[in-house]
Amino acid sequence: MKRFLTPKGLIGLSLVLAILLIAILAPLLIPADLATRMTMTARLRPPSADYLLGTDQLGRSLFYRVMLGANTSLMIAGAAVAMSVLLGLPLGIISGYYRGHVDNVLMRLVDTLLSFPALLLALTISAMLGPNLPNTIIAIGIAFTPFLARIIRGEALRVAQMPYVEAARAAGTNDLQMILRHILPNIMPPIIVQATISLAFAILAEAGLSFLGLGTQPPQSSWGLMIQASRDYLDIAPWTALVPGAAVALTVLGLNMFGDTLRDVLDPRTK
Amino acid sequence: MTYILNRLLSIVLTLFLISVITFGVTNILPGDVATMIMGTQSNPAALAGLRESLGLNDPVIMRYGRWIGGLLTGDWGHSLVFKQPIAELLIQKIKASSLIVIMSMVIALACAVPLGVWAAVHRNRWQDTVSSSSALLGISLPDFFWGIVMILLFARTLGWFPSSGFADPAQEFGRALMHAFLPALALGLGLMAHLTRMTRSTMTGILEQEFIRVSRAKGLAERTVVWRYALANAIGPVMTVAGLQVGYLFGSIIVVETLFNYTGMGWLTYQALLNRDVPLIQATVFVIAAVVMLTNLIVDLLYLLVDPRIRLG
Amino acid sequence: MKRRDFLKSTAAVIGGAGFLGTLHPATLTAQDAPKRGGTLIWGHSETTQNLDIHQTGTASTLRVLQNVHAPIVTVDQNLKVIPNLAEKYEQSDDGLTYTFRLRPGVKFHNGKTMTSADVKYSFERCKNPATGAVNFEVFNNVAAIETPDDLTVVVKMSKVNAPFLSRLAENGAGAIMPEGSGEAQANTPIGAGPFKFVRREFGHEVELQRFDDYWDGPAYLERVIAREVTEPTVRLTGLRTGELHMINDIPADRIEEIKSNSKLQVRTWFPLNWDFVNFNHEFEPFKDKRVRLAFDLLIDKEQLLQGALWGQGKLTATPSYPTSTSRNAALSNRPQDIQKAKALLAEAGYGPGKLKVVFKTTTNYPYHIEAAQIMVEWFREAGVQMTIEQLTWSDWLSQVWTNKDFQVSMMNFFTLWEPDFLYYSEWHSTGAFNYRKIKDPVLDELLEKARVTTDPAARDDIYKQVQQRIFDEVHDVILWFRNGSIGAQPSVGGIDTIVHPNGSNLNFHKVWLRA
Repeated sequence: MKRFLTPKGLIGLSLVLAILLIAILAPLLIPADLATRMTMTARLRPPSADYLLGTDQLGRSLFYRVMLGANTSLMIAGAAVAMSVLLGLPLGIISGYYRGHVDNVLMRLVDTLLSFPALLLALTISAMLGPNLPNTIIAIGIAFTPFLARIIRGEALRVAQMPYVEAARAAGTNDLQMILRHILPNIMPPIIVQATISLAFAILAEAGLSFLGLGTQPPQSSWGLMIQASRDYLDIAPWTALVPGAAVALTVLGLNMFGDTLRDVLDPRTK
Repeated sequence: MTYILNRLLSIVLTLFLISVITFGVTNILPGDVATMIMGTQSNPAALAGLRESLGLNDPVIMRYGRWIGGLLTGDWGHSLVFKQPIAELLIQKIKASSLIVIMSMVIALACAVPLGVWAAVHRNRWQDTVSSSSALLGISLPDFFWGIVMILLFARTLGWFPSSGFADPAQEFGRALMHAFLPALALGLGLMAHLTRMTRSTMTGILEQEFIRVSRAKGLAERTVVWRYALANAIGPVMTVAGLQVGYLFGSIIVVETLFNYTGMGWLTYQALLNRDVPLIQATVFVIAAVVMLTNLIVDLLYLLVDPRIRLG
Repeated sequence: MKRRDFLKSTAAVIGGAGFLGTLHPATLTAQDAPKRGGTLIWGHSETTQNLDIHQTGTASTLRVLQNVHAPIVTVDQNLKVIPNLAEKYEQSDDGLTYTFRLRPGVKFHNGKTMTSADVKYSFERCKNPATGAVNFEVFNNVAAIETPDDLTVVVKMSKVNAPFLSRLAENGAGAIMPEGSGEAQANTPIGAGPFKFVRREFGHEVELQRFDDYWDGPAYLERVIAREVTEPTVRLTGLRTGELHMINDIPADRIEEIKSNSKLQVRTWFPLNWDFVNFNHEFEPFKDKRVRLAFDLLIDKEQLLQGALWGQGKLTATPSYPTSTSRNAALSNRPQDIQKAKALLAEAGYGPGKLKVVFKTTTNYPYHIEAAQIMVEWFREAGVQMTIEQLTWSDWLSQVWTNKDFQVSMMNFFTLWEPDFLYYSEWHSTGAFNYRKIKDPVLDELLEKARVTTDPAARDDIYKQVQQRIFDEVHDVILWFRNGSIGAQPSVGGIDTIVHPNGSNLNFHKVWLRA
């Protein structure tokens, strides 16, 4: 635990905690209509005492929108990463544990999928399925799967060659028990690290998709959507872009710092 | 030699898989090309006729065969919305995008290598903190956010560069560079951050190795040790990472080109997706994946030349 | 604004330069004689698509092609049909025969002289369903096209087609192209207009060059480059920095500011197009007129205009062109009345929380998305739960337009000033643009009657009844006319000649660049 007490670890941890707290509490504490209430007489107002972070083109409070947007962004990113871990686990473990032809075939497929830039894949899937919230999650989830499958396979391969696994095999443990009892618990730490870092990328991907109009739908607030709407007012109201942009940046920064530290703690092989 | 042959065989196989995935994603998912073509003039009878004449009612295998046959014989078809031959469009747009991709690579490498080395040499001192923190910031900010900041700063406030648009390098080279600079910078910053981190960790590892200690003990100047010996050994892994990041760049150009209205491959892909111009989507997605795959291969081969210790079966 | 003032200002517009904007001092310099030569760089708001004028349905592409092609007849400022490539034309008393006398010596860009054969070719190409022309129905009742000599074209109808001539003056249908050039049009358009098509770099720019043999005298400009800058703020920045000479579609929120404090010339005019909110008439709740009326009453049109378009438009309750003689001036938008709307909804069986609707909008018109977000709030007040789906243009086309799979939507149309085109295609139960599945026998009868009524006054009267019926039945909620705008450097001369009377096309024939 001591390794968390670095400046990087502390900043990362507090950023992640703060954002999680906002994401969970904001929808409970802030009435939804505060973020959608429009004031036509107060459009594109700069940050002030009345409007803490200014207002957008429809006179909606950016403060409330950015707070409520945390929930949307984290929820989508979290669900997408969960999906890619769930899809990646069987793929990776089967490949790494059984090796041989299964491994060759699966990894050839995964490598091919890795040739498609994740964002391109997510965009194409989202455009084809039609943009809405569940499809955004599916699109990002699928796009990240090959990457996670590759990592998980590497870990499974490493663990499968450990002496205690060999020993268990000699003792006649069957494959399923082996995977559940020995492989899975031992590959969890690196997967957690990787999932944390993927979460950062998923938040960027959601922002990118929404920015291109192929992600979250209005009037729901999402950071990418807010940046998209701000484009037309960039020169007269730069805060409309900077506020959600900073929210994305802080979240991703926090997740990256937290992930880096987590790696130092959980996965001491790398530095 | 067998290695090269094996690789060539695997390229063909991978390209085949890429084509299958591209075709699958754009065909199995819902969405109808015929509706898109007819647009505001469609009616059920005409739609049915068009579907038949486009061969949309044929089995998937046949449609795939026709498509791949077209790709192989150089007949890439026409864009549904823009009525232009796809091959012609792609060549035009790949040229435009190459300019910003190459520029961003140059910018990223030119900044990342010195920064990374600087951080590694001064490991755990303030220089390291500065370099590592800025790298962390670099990978945390979305490229479109950088793009927006740059438009505000360099185009709106300082007026140094145009905020958007594209110029043909073959016609007006100077203007083309001006237009390409901001998008390239927006693309390059994220890449730079990754490469800085990579350079730092590789250099750190190398600086701890025996031959460096020996060189130092021999009394060679620290500058020579770091920049001549250590860096020469670090450049391979760094180049590999740079090559692998081409895929990341090709994902990012969609967003960055759209933001800067820079009409290259990324922009074309986005237009194709927006208009559900299926033949164009298939072509752009296939080409991007193929380019990424081939770049990775070239990087592998270069790495082989740079570092002959590695011999793969 | 009261209806009366609205019409007064409309009259002023037509009497004056054709614009709402006041003339900026920069354009009033004395001895401002047109100069020849120079390349004008126009920041065009949209990407051009298929360049075949018969096939292309997008106003953006037509805006460019208008300079390459010349129509057989056109309209003046009052939207009256006047000769163009035909120096005169007449219609037989029974309304079944049209005779066009062509202007002698009109040259195409390929150097050939226009003859009746080219006109016959162009008309037949447009009429042929295989061409896929957007305006093929203009030639609906055409039985034969005859060419007794090189300069005479006779069009024979099997049935009266009252709107025929004015439809020929509309976009596309009347354009004359050289015989046999059809295949080439999609990529290298060729016509008899003031500018020759030189090249297009797709998604980037279209280059046009002066055509010296244009029948109405060569243009002043040597070249026009239509650079496609789709991002509004970027277009404006380009104009401000001098990279662009001229732009169309200035961001609505910026127009007032630019007008008052910059040297740039700004022209706004209305209408560019009109917007309306649509109901799917086969969606159970909307079969009840009370529900449609309630939805109309929930919308504060003035507030919505401010919110979505920053006030750059004028409310209207009928889509008839402001100067049209068939416009029903007695209609005006219903004011917002949430209480009454709630009562109507309750009466129809949709008390608070009982009605859920999906509002499908398209990202192609970002202001529609803003408008939808504003409306959602009003609907919430009345206990109607509304969710928004923002669709890409292609998805909107396939879901709403083609498959009619929607509940509420919003669309705009360019000012279809020709009333048959407008009302028949939008509101007749078999109309090509009736994606709302409106089936109103009263309307159908009126619209069919108008088609065979040749007396202009009687025809106008029918269309006024049509507008009244649409309004009374709340078939759609018609909102406003949206303003068009262009901005230009002080160096651009002749800016008042750019906008075509139809409010959509831009023409560079009489534009020049000051030294």
